[in-house]
Amino acid sequence: MSARFRARDRVAIVGYAQSPVVRHADRSLGALTLDTARAAVADAGLTPDQIDGFVTGTLLPTAGEHAVVDGVSVVSADWLAARLNPHPRYAAGFSGLGQIPGLMAMAVNAVASGAAEHVLVHRALHNPAGSYHGTSAGEFRGGLQWTAPQGFFGPLAMMGLTYNEYVQRYGASREALAEVVVEARKNGARLPWSHWSGRPLSAEQYLAEPMLADPIGRLDCDIPVDGAAAFVLTTAERARDLPHRPVHVSGYASGAPPRRRLPAHWPLDDIMAAGATTADRLWAAAGMGLDEIDLVQVYDGFSPLVFLWLEALGRCPVGEGHHYVRDGRIDSDRPGADPVLLSGGSLGNGRMHGVPQLLECYLQVSGRAGARQRSGIATALSCHSSPHLGGALVYSAEPGTSPVHESRV
Amino acid sequence: MTSARRPLPVPDALSAPFWEAAARHVLTLSRCSDCGTLTHPPNVACDACGSTDPRFTAAPVDGRGVVRSWTVIRQSFLPGFADLLPYVLVDVELAEQPDVRLVGRLLDGPDAPLKTGSPVRVAFEDLADGVAVPAFTLAEAS
Ligand SMILES: [Zn+2]
Repeated sequence: MSARFRARDRVAIVGYAQSPVVRHADRSLGALTLDTARAAVADAGLTPDQIDGFVTGTLLPTAGEHAVVDGVSVVSADWLAARLNPHPRYAAGFSGLGQIPGLMAMAVNAVASGAAEHVLVHRALHNPAGSYHGTSAGEFRGGLQWTAPQGFFGPLAMMGLTYNEYVQRYGASREALAEVVVEARKNGARLPWSHWSGRPLSAEQYLAEPMLADPIGRLDCDIPVDGAAAFVLTTAERARDLPHRPVHVSGYASGAPPRRRLPAHWPLDDIMAAGATTADRLWAAAGMGLDEIDLVQVYDGFSPLVFLWLEALGRCPVGEGHHYVRDGRIDSDRPGADPVLLSGGSLGNGRMHGVPQLLECYLQVSGRAGARQRSGIATALSCHSSPHLGGALVYSAEPGTSPVHESRV
Repeated sequence: MTSARRPLPVPDALSAPFWEAAARHVLTLSRCSDCGTLTHPPNVACDACGSTDPRFTAAPVDGRGVVRSWTVIRQSFLPGFADLLPYVLVDVELAEQPDVRLVGRLLDGPDAPLKTGSPVRVAFEDLADGVAVPAFTLAEAS
């Protein structure tokens, strides 16, 4: 049997900042991120010289041929540290696909181990000029030699195959996906920073959109944006002295390595098999199960991922996510519903990866969600990416047992 | 605007036997010399037995399989595909070893009757002198 996760609820989020999310910012991504990071440090009641750890992930998720330039199209931990506190004790980046659980895990471990006391985590996302995924490449090497020359290229084709397998097997309707997208856009429309602020979507508008990779249409995919968010993490002990109610990280998890496949080939069974291990690991790390979590925020960069996360977490049986969302059961305005897209998600914010889900969990557990604040949220769960290649985090308002006390147990 | 050429695969040490056979319209999978398990694409180690010296050989297979999923591509991000839109991609489970899945174009067009389990067989598209890539066509149920 595996040992207890010793960092459980020992590390807390103590401040944040979220930039405006726009199609193309009128300034560099580096400048946007630096201002956002400074705002997060101030929000936490700290000064930049106290930030001794920096963690991020720099994935630029395009299939196209865009140069990756630090400070312009991505912002690394080192780039930000050099401008906030040039001599940190720890600066590192996560390189996997589930960037938010991955980078949060690194930050939690750094604080829990004492590698750093105050860690700034950030995620900066860029929308390059020109076609996001388009390429004029005349030849492909490495993994893409097996797919691109055959016409299989990019995330729309990837999700088209995955979701059609789901549709054929379980009979999901376009109306079920409409409920997802409309709910995300409704919640996103209420966020002042969102690209979709003030712009909800009707089911009729959704259903009128053409397909891009059947059964995936244009509005089933989040829109590329420029945006940055930052969070400050420190120990539960230190967090008591800071201005905001701390939100402790109870646990994090990603899945067991899935079967090796062609690039961007996500067979449904692979997702759900590895996704089950993600959930098992999460409950073990957090020391609690789904029934003890007050607010679940699922990832929706592609709308069908909402069904897959609901099923992987056990909110409903496998194959029934498309039933679960029907008839207003995830409607954040309906008392007693399960508002899994309260954050607006990626579909309602723009392509901020797992930031909206993390942010909503932080705001709700810390009691800082303003007009959207819900009562009785002491625990929460956020997801990012897919159940097989991404991961999830659990948060708690309550701090864990003290290190000294536990070492005597 | 004239159509751009479709992109070509660039063979490497592991993939060269596959592309050499594909040019002759023969589908091959990689067979581990230690355990005999088929895989695609080849890798530096065998996923089945863990061999770090799998000495993969390009084993010819007859290219029959069944459709596990499909999608209709209506917007392409690649050069050379604009004139082919819309086209169908099929996710095929190969009869030779069902855990091997290939994805390629279905050459029967977007109106072909497709369902989960539809039988298909491999076909090849010639892209340049000595370069062909695998695709699929609907087959009679056998
Ligand atoms: Zn082997």
